[in-house]
Amino acid sequence: MDSAVRIDTPADTVYHLKAGGAGAILAINELSLWYGAAQALHGVQMSVEKGLVTALIGPSGCGKSTLLRCINRMNDLVDGLRIEGEIRLNGEDIYHKSADVIALRKRMGMVFQKPNPFPMTIYENVVYPLKVDGVRDKALLEETCERALRGAALWNEVKDRLDQSALGMSGGQQQRLCIARAIAADPEVLLMDEPCSALDPIATAKIEDLINDLAGQYTVVIVTHNMQQAARVSDNTAFMYLGRLIEYGDTETIFQTPKSPKTQDYVTGRFG
Amino acid sequence: MTDSYIPRGQAASAENTAGRRTDLRSRGEPALWSLGGALALGIIMILGFLALVFSNGIATFIPKPIAVVTETGGQVTAGEPFRSESFRPTVEEVATLPPDWQARIKSAGGMVNRTLYRMGNFDVYGEDFRWVADYAVAKREFPANMVFVERMEWGPFIGTVKALTIDGNAQPFKSIEDPVFLQAHQQALDRADDIRDIERGRIGDINHRLENERLALRKVELAEGRTSAAYRDAQDRLNTLSVTLQRDYDALAAEVTKLREASARNTLTLAAVGGEEKTIEFAALVRIYPANDLGFWGKVGVYLSRWGEFLGGEPREANTEGGVFPAIFGTAAMTLLMVLVVAPFGVITALYLREYAKQGRLVSFVRISVNNLAGVPSIVYGVFGLGFFAYVLGGSIDALFYPERLPSPTFGTGGLLWSALTLALLTVPVVIVATEEALAAVPRSMREGSLACGASKWQTIKYIVLPRAMPGVMTGVILAMARGAGEVAPLMLVGVVKLAPELPIDGIFPFVHLERSFMHLGFHIFDVGFQSRNAEAGKPMVFVTTVLLIALVTIVNAAAIILRSRLKRRFAGSQF
Repeated sequence: MDSAVRIDTPADTVYHLKAGGAGAILAINELSLWYGAAQALHGVQMSVEKGLVTALIGPSGCGKSTLLRCINRMNDLVDGLRIEGEIRLNGEDIYHKSADVIALRKRMGMVFQKPNPFPMTIYENVVYPLKVDGVRDKALLEETCERALRGAALWNEVKDRLDQSALGMSGGQQQRLCIARAIAADPEVLLMDEPCSALDPIATAKIEDLINDLAGQYTVVIVTHNMQQAARVSDNTAFMYLGRLIEYGDTETIFQTPKSPKTQDYVTGRFG
Repeated sequence: MTDSYIPRGQAASAENTAGRRTDLRSRGEPALWSLGGALALGIIMILGFLALVFSNGIATFIPKPIAVVTETGGQVTAGEPFRSESFRPTVEEVATLPPDWQARIKSAGGMVNRTLYRMGNFDVYGEDFRWVADYAVAKREFPANMVFVERMEWGPFIGTVKALTIDGNAQPFKSIEDPVFLQAHQQALDRADDIRDIERGRIGDINHRLENERLALRKVELAEGRTSAAYRDAQDRLNTLSVTLQRDYDALAAEVTKLREASARNTLTLAAVGGEEKTIEFAALVRIYPANDLGFWGKVGVYLSRWGEFLGGEPREANTEGGVFPAIFGTAAMTLLMVLVVAPFGVITALYLREYAKQGRLVSFVRISVNNLAGVPSIVYGVFGLGFFAYVLGGSIDALFYPERLPSPTFGTGGLLWSALTLALLTVPVVIVATEEALAAVPRSMREGSLACGASKWQTIKYIVLPRAMPGVMTGVILAMARGAGEVAPLMLVGVVKLAPELPIDGIFPFVHLERSFMHLGFHIFDVGFQSRNAEAGKPMVFVTTVLLIALVTIVNAAAIILRSRLKRRFAGSQF
C-alpha cells in the first residue's frame, strides 16, 4: 500500500498492492483476450482481495467489462474468442480444461447493466439459482428468498407480493431483485457490470448503500463508468486503458495520488 | 437551425404561413395512396369473398315457397324458384311467340329472363331442375296445400299429400300439424333409429367378434401351422363362436324384419302436380312442411332443424343432403393429431438449429432447405405420404404386427395417422421458421442472467428461453393449423374418402383407430360440388360446408390467438 510493489510484468503497470497476497480470492495472471483478430486484453495481471470491493474503471472500450466477464466465463458464449493466461479462484484455474463452467458460475453471482429479471414471480426469480441447482426443499427456498431479499434491502417492499410478476417492479427494484438473485446462492464473488448505469440517482444511491452493506460479506468486483461511484463504494480500484491494466491500488491512492499520468488525467476528468 | 421554437402542433400552420409547400413527391403522398389502395383492394376482395360465401351459406337452409307454374303449352311445373338469369332465346323460338313478347324481347336486345325451378321428384321426372322462360309462363301460383318433403332417398318430393296409412289403416289426412300424424312419424323415426342401432351396433359387434376370432385363427395358422393342436383349438373356438353368433344374428335379423314390417304399415301417399303418386314409408320421411303456408316461426323451426341435421347428422344421397358430422369430426381429429406431431417436432428442430448447431454453412443450407420445403406443392407431399408412410411404413407395420389380416391392409393404406403425418411434414417448415425467429428474439440478457445463475444451457432453454419464445411458437403452430385444416389435395391420396363407414374414434377397442380412413370438410366441398350426380343440387351444400370450414378454422385460430395473448401478457412489463 505504501510503496508500489512491482511484480514481474507488465513493465508499465503501476501496482500499489501486492499481487497474490494471502487475502487474494482471485488471481488474474497474464490474461490476454482476442475477439477474432482484435486483441481486447493485453496481459492483465491483478489479484482481487477477499471481502473487499474492487472497482474497475476506465474509458469506454478499455476492456473492463470484458475482464469482468472473463471471471465467470460469460465470454464463452462469444464466437471467435481466444484467451491466454489464467484466472485462479482460490487457487483453481477456472480456464483449465477440466474446469466445470456451470459449477464455477454457481460460485459467483453476477449483476448486469440493465436489470434482467426473468418473466416469473419475484419469489421464483430469487430462488432461480437454487432451483437450477436442484434444491426442492420448500422451507429452504423460502428462507433463502427472505434472506436474499433482506440482503438486497428489498424485503420490506416486496414481502407481500412475492407471488407477483417481477416485471411489474420499478427499474431500481428490479436491479435490487437481480442483486438478491445473485446473492441467493451465497456466491464467493459478486460481479457487477455497471449496475447503476440504467437507474435514476435515487435508485443508484440505494444500490450503492447496498454495495457498502454487502462489502465484508461478499467479495465484490464492480465495473463502473462513474468515478464518484468507484470512490464511494470501493476499497481497491483498478484503472484500465486500451485493454491494459494501467494502475491498481487502494481507492484513495488511485484517486488522490496516482502514479501514472494516464490515471491522473482520467480521474481528474481530463479524458474519458 | 430555426430561429424560434415552434411547438409541434403548430408546425404545419407555421409552414403554411411561410407560403412554402413541401414537394408532393418528397412527402411520399402518391406512394401512400398506392399502399393504402393495395390494402383496400385486398380487404375488399376478402370481404367480398366472405360476403358471397356467407350470404349463400346462411340462406341455403331457409325454406323457400313452392311455385306452381302452368306454361302456355299446358305443362305444369311445381318447384322452388332457385335462381333467375337472362338468356338469349333462339330465333326460331322467338318466331313462335306472340307478337307482344317478340316486341319485348326485341326491345331488350334479344334477351329474356328465365327462372330455374327445383322440382325435386327425381324418381318421377328423372331430373331435379327445370328452366322456365318468362314468356312461357301462363300462370304462376303458390297454393297452400303444396308440401316440401325431404326423403331419405331420391331427394325432395314436391307435391300434395294424398293419403295416410297408420298401422295398416287408411286415415284421413287433416294437416301436417295433426298430432296423430306427428306421433306416427316420430314412432317411425324411432323405429328407424332402432333398426340402425341393431344393424350398425349389435350386428356390427357380432361381425367384429367373428372377424377377431377369424384373425386369431389365422394368426395361429401363421405361427404354428395348420396341423398343430393350437390351430385345431382355435378352429373349434371359431366354430363354436360362429354358431352362437349366428344364433344371435338370426335373432337380431328377425327383430329387424319385424321392425321393418311395422314400418311398412305406416305410409304416406304423395301426389306430384302432374298426378303421379308416390307412397313412402314414414321412416323414409326426414321432414315435411307446407312451404307456402309456413309462418315466421315455422320457417325458423325448419331452418334450425336443418342446421341441426347438417351439423349433427350423417350424409345422405351421395353427400348432397343430410349432415356433415363425420367430416367435421374427421377434420378436427386430423388437425389435432397433426398439431400433436408438428408442434414438438418443429420446436425441437428449431431448438437444435438455433441453440445448439454451430452456425455455419451447413446450418444455413439446412435453413434454406427448410424454407424451400414450405414452397413445395402440397400434392407432392401427398404422393410422398402415400409412397413412404402408407406403403413403406404402413406396409412394414402390417407385415410385422398384422400378418393375419393380409392381404387386406391395415396401416398399409391411407388413414388418419398417415394423413396427419403428411400434413405435419407439410406444415413443419412454418413451425420451424416461426420458432427460430422467436428463439432469436429472446434477449441475450435473459440467457446471460440465467447462465450467470449457474444454470446449464439446457436449464436456460427450459426455464427462460422456451417460455419466453412460446408466443412466437404459438404463432407458428396457429399458421400450421390453419394451413393444415384447409389442405385437401394431399389428403385425397393418404386417407380421406368420400364416405367413411366408421368414425376414427368409437367404442370398439382400442377406441382410437388411427388406421381408418376418414371424411374431411375440404374434400367434402370438392366432392359435393364437383363429383356429385347433380352439380346444381350440390351447390348450396358447397356454400354451407365452406361456411362451416371457415368458421371452424376461425374458431380454432381464435382459441390459439387468445392463448397466445395470455402468454404474451406475462411478458408485458418486460423492459427489453
